[in-house]
Amino acid sequence: MVPPQWYLLLAAAVFCIGVFGVLTRRNALIFLMSVELMLNAANINLVYFSQYWGNVTGQTFSLFTLALAAAEVAIGIGIILVLYRNFDDVDVTKAVTMRW
Amino acid sequence: MSRPELKSDISYTKGLAALALFAVMAAVLAGAPFGAPQGFPDGANLTASIGYAMFNVGVDQITGATLVASEGFLVAFEIIDVVLVAALAGAILLARRETGDESITAVVADGGRELERTLRGDDRSEDESPADDGGDR
Repeated sequence: MVPPQWYLLLAAAVFCIGVFGVLTRRNALIFLMSVELMLNAANINLVYFSQYWGNVTGQTFSLFTLALAAAEVAIGIGIILVLYRNFDDVDVTKAVTMRW
Repeated sequence: MSRPELKSDISYTKGLAALALFAVMAAVLAGAPFGAPQGFPDGANLTASIGYAMFNVGVDQITGATLVASEGFLVAFEIIDVVLVAALAGAILLARRETGDESITAVVADGGRELERTLRGDDRSEDESPADDGGDR
C-alpha cells in the first residue's frame, strides 16, 4: 500500500491549486472549477483513509461531498447567470456592492 | 480566433499565498505519524457495503454476508436530498428572466422569428406568405 504521506501531498497539491485559482483568477466560472478542485482534494483523503482503516465510512461520505458539490455548482451557475445579466461580464471583481 | 493559452494578466503575488499554504501543509504532512494500515478484508464487497451504509443497514439482506464496518448515513441521505432539491429550485429561480411577461420566453423559444417580425413591423405571417414571389427579399 502506498504510504499515506503521498496521498496527503497529492490532496494538498490539488487543494492548493484550487486556492491558487480562487486567489488569482477573476472569471467566475474558473472560481467554480477551483472550488471543485478543493472539494475533490478532500475526497481523495476520504477515500484513501477509508481504505487505510478498512472502513467504508469515508467512501460513503465522499459520495455526499459529490452531491453537495453538485448543489453548489447549480447555485453557482445561477449566480453567474445573474452576474452576466447585470454586468455583461463574469468578472467577480466588478460586483462589489450588495445592491445596485 | 482564440487558442488556449496561459493566463498572463493575473496577480501572482496572491498566488504565493497558495504556494506558502502548500509548503506548510507538505512540511507538516510529510512527518506526520500514522498507525499501521489495516486495509479491507479479502473478498469484501465494498459496493454493497457502501450501499447498505447509506441506509443504515448493517447486514447484507440478500446473502447475509458481513459487510465492511461503517457508520449509518440515512439522515445525511435525506438531508442531501432536500438540499439538492432546494439548490435546483434556487438555480431555476436565479436563471429565470425577470420580466413579468411570460410571452418573451415563448418568443425566444420560437427562434426569434416572432420577435423579428415585430421589429420589422411586418404583420404578415411567414406561413401565409408565398415561398418566393421574386420580390425584394
